[in-house]
Amino acid sequence: MSRTPQTEMVTGAVWYQPGDEIPDVDQKLYALQNQCTDCNICEVACSLVHSPDGIVNPLLARLKVNHSPQVGKRAPTHGFGFAADICHHCGNPPPCAEVCPADAFYYDPKTNVAVIAQDKCIGCMECVPGCPFDVIFVAPDGELLKCDLCGGEPACVEACATRPELNNVGKQYNRAPVLFHADSATYRAVLQDKPEPRDEVGMMQAMLEKGMVSSAA
Amino acid sequence: MESRLLHVNLTTGELRVEQLPHAMFERWIGGSGINNWIMWEHFLKHDINCDPRSPDNIFVFGVGPLAGTGSGSGIKGRITFKSPCYGIFGDSAAGGKFPYMVRFAGFDHIAITGKAPRPVYLYLCDGHADIRDATHLWGKNTAETHTALNTELGDYPSHVHTLTIGQAGEHQVGIAAVVSDASRIHARGGGGCVMGSKNLKAIAVQGSGGVRVANPAGMLKWSREFRASIDRNEAIYGFKRRGTLGAVEMYQHIGSHFWRNNQGNMFRGDEVRSDNWVKKYHKYSEVCSADCFIACDGRYKIDGSESEKAQKYVGETFRRPEYLTTGSAAGALDLRDWAEVAHWGKITNDYGIDNQDLSCAISFIMEVNQHGLLSERDIGELFGRAQSLEWGNMEDVETLMADIVYRRNLFGELFHDGPYWGALRYSARTGRNFMKYSIYGKGGASFTEEMRPFPTWMNNMAVASRGADHLKGIGLIEKFQRRDLSKRYFNGRLEAADLSTPVLKGACTALVENQVALINSYGVCLFHWMLDPTGYAPEEYYGRAFAEVTGIDRTPEELMRDGERICNLEKAFNSRLGLRREHDTICERWMFEPTTEGMYPGRVAADMFETVLDEYYEWRGWERDTGLQTASRLESLGMGDVAEVLAADGALARG
Amino acid sequence: MITVHAQYQARFREITQVERESFELETPRVAELATRLTGKYGPTMQALLMDADGENLNTRGTLYLNSRGERVFIEDPLYDGDTIYFMVGIAGG
Repeated sequence: MSRTPQTEMVTGAVWYQPGDEIPDVDQKLYALQNQCTDCNICEVACSLVHSPDGIVNPLLARLKVNHSPQVGKRAPTHGFGFAADICHHCGNPPPCAEVCPADAFYYDPKTNVAVIAQDKCIGCMECVPGCPFDVIFVAPDGELLKCDLCGGEPACVEACATRPELNNVGKQYNRAPVLFHADSATYRAVLQDKPEPRDEVGMMQAMLEKGMVSSAA
Repeated sequence: MESRLLHVNLTTGELRVEQLPHAMFERWIGGSGINNWIMWEHFLKHDINCDPRSPDNIFVFGVGPLAGTGSGSGIKGRITFKSPCYGIFGDSAAGGKFPYMVRFAGFDHIAITGKAPRPVYLYLCDGHADIRDATHLWGKNTAETHTALNTELGDYPSHVHTLTIGQAGEHQVGIAAVVSDASRIHARGGGGCVMGSKNLKAIAVQGSGGVRVANPAGMLKWSREFRASIDRNEAIYGFKRRGTLGAVEMYQHIGSHFWRNNQGNMFRGDEVRSDNWVKKYHKYSEVCSADCFIACDGRYKIDGSESEKAQKYVGETFRRPEYLTTGSAAGALDLRDWAEVAHWGKITNDYGIDNQDLSCAISFIMEVNQHGLLSERDIGELFGRAQSLEWGNMEDVETLMADIVYRRNLFGELFHDGPYWGALRYSARTGRNFMKYSIYGKGGASFTEEMRPFPTWMNNMAVASRGADHLKGIGLIEKFQRRDLSKRYFNGRLEAADLSTPVLKGACTALVENQVALINSYGVCLFHWMLDPTGYAPEEYYGRAFAEVTGIDRTPEELMRDGERICNLEKAFNSRLGLRREHDTICERWMFEPTTEGMYPGRVAADMFETVLDEYYEWRGWERDTGLQTASRLESLGMGDVAEVLAADGALARG
Repeated sequence: MITVHAQYQARFREITQVERESFELETPRVAELATRLTGKYGPTMQALLMDADGENLNTRGTLYLNSRGERVFIEDPLYDGDTIYFMVGIAGG
């Protein structure tokens, strides 16, 4: 894989020379299982940023909101089983790129993410089963869609309906956002360091008992 | 801007696709604006005085130009029809995923006329439409219908999204609602009844197409700005968490609830008086509309431990009650247990019926009974059985609800068009006057919120095109006393935000009606409007998004005129039906009985009502004595064609 | 020097952890009360109470009323013994 020159599609610039060591993706995308609100805004936002001609269609998105009620080990148990299926950006070269017979993957030098060069892709779909997480998608016209991290500022994370909680840890919500763009240490830290739950009901009750508030109408 | 309108004639089975010209967007924006025009044109060819349940009535569905564009805002679909329960203009909005899926299936508007010989559903997929047999779905509630259609149609090429009616719609109950995806409800006006009268059980849609945005980079920038502005405001985290339920505590404080048929304006139940009770049980995922970046919605699941009566509903799961679900259950009907309030929301949704009209009808009969005006014989005649009519009794509420949904006794027959017509019919039948217990405005049932202290709101109740309604000209400038907005819109004057004076209240109604008409036509959620960075200035802010999507660039002043044009078309529709100034009125209780509780006791509507109405007509440029539109104003809005129709019907001011 | 009372509701109460408290103000102005509140409760209160530029009170999704049921703005005067109710909520449903 890495022996092929990595070229940018439009300008033809060579990104990595043959034989170059390509470092692994540092900041990856993570999706929290079972906490997704199923609003699909990530799909719409993804298709909007990847659509220079202005066609917005969630089926052209590089991630999918899926209903998978089988809750993973670390997932919060509250929720209705929705999760965003999104590229995990495996170590380089990733399994999808390794199985590609056309060497159609190149590496974005800014993010080190493996991206499909559509002009080289022969549409054989080898990468679809090649992906261990089932997150390479096929558009209605057969184009293969893989997350490219939007060059380092993923639109899905920005748009996610739960996004403000990212800045709100420990404040009002005792939950984390669904989509993260972070390094794995940060992600693990957020998951393990759950913000302290606020029991407002208990507080109201305590106030009632202390006579600080009245229960009369 | 490309847009397709699907004509469906259920009598002949004819399906026809019409490409809407760009000029349509220039004139009517989209969403409710284009819906209104489609209905207006329909009734130029058909008798406007037809029975709303007849095949001549039209049922229009439409989405706004912002739907599914990544704006994060354009989430609302709108249905428009002649209302069977109010007898006048009727429309209603709901969010969810149905609207954007209709767009991905290649349509923007659907206009349905005629009546199918047997139950059918309409199936749309990628530019094609099909009328299919629905005999097997008839009799199912909205949730069952949604599930059955999902099983039947599968997950290819996309998920199935539906618009369904329940038993209420099938029995042509006047206040029947249309339910989107089994949980989002087009409640007002009786759209479900119109669908039922056409034997149309559901519309199902799948789509894999796309929507074109004129300027994707601009759209992206716009939605980024909006998100950033929302995320900065701490108050919005509360809204995301509680939805409109966040208003319960505030309304309790200012005295804005609707208790026991508006005999009071504060909740009495300890548990329901604070929004804490929502959070106590809020141990489930939030859900939200498609392409909405606020996510104010949530789902509950009852495990039995929550409250005294929760045991009855173990395992039940549905959307968390919003303010008006709570207002109708905990307020109008005085249910005091959280599980009951939630259950009320679920069953009204399953039957497919408007819980505002329904709660007002039930609380009307309960109040009449409370005053000892119903003898045992009266009750026997109404219900065909012994029936207790006790406030806060869930069993009574459920029985009465079923009476109306199935129209299975005299009570159901009299009250299935809501409390106004119910009270009229019952008064006529018994020769006694019960109208003072009926809470209504312009023939429509109240929504369950107090409005006597708020002059703009009471004006809304009287003049809204679809009957008593707070959403057409929502008086937030006044209720939230926004002096800053009053200053901005009325040349530095502050009166619009002052609750103690009638001055500028009519003007405020007219202004906000125009803005809301714009918002509805963009297909934007009203809550997005309330939270937009400029603070209630849709003509500036959403005008930009509209330009990014359609390429139609307008100044804010032009957009306000567009809004006014849309309002005037709704008014013209009602004028053709014979509505005049005397119909712009509200019920006796609001007029003459003072409020007793909250921050604003002792208010009656009669103090300011006529002054505000006069001012409203003046700002609208309508004739004061008749409330009719004038040719000059309509022509200045580019509506000469509408003026001609009105003149022919004798519904244009002579002056 | 005047004494005013602040009564908190919903989100405000979560931040302050008390239902009601009193402040003694040098100047009888809402501006001073706002400064005292943001000073006492920090950036979360700032983000809730004030708008983005930090010059005016936040008007989106909030309602601040005095004892007479009138909304208060940053430039408004306060009187001795006034109670200001800090509320959060979005109308309708």
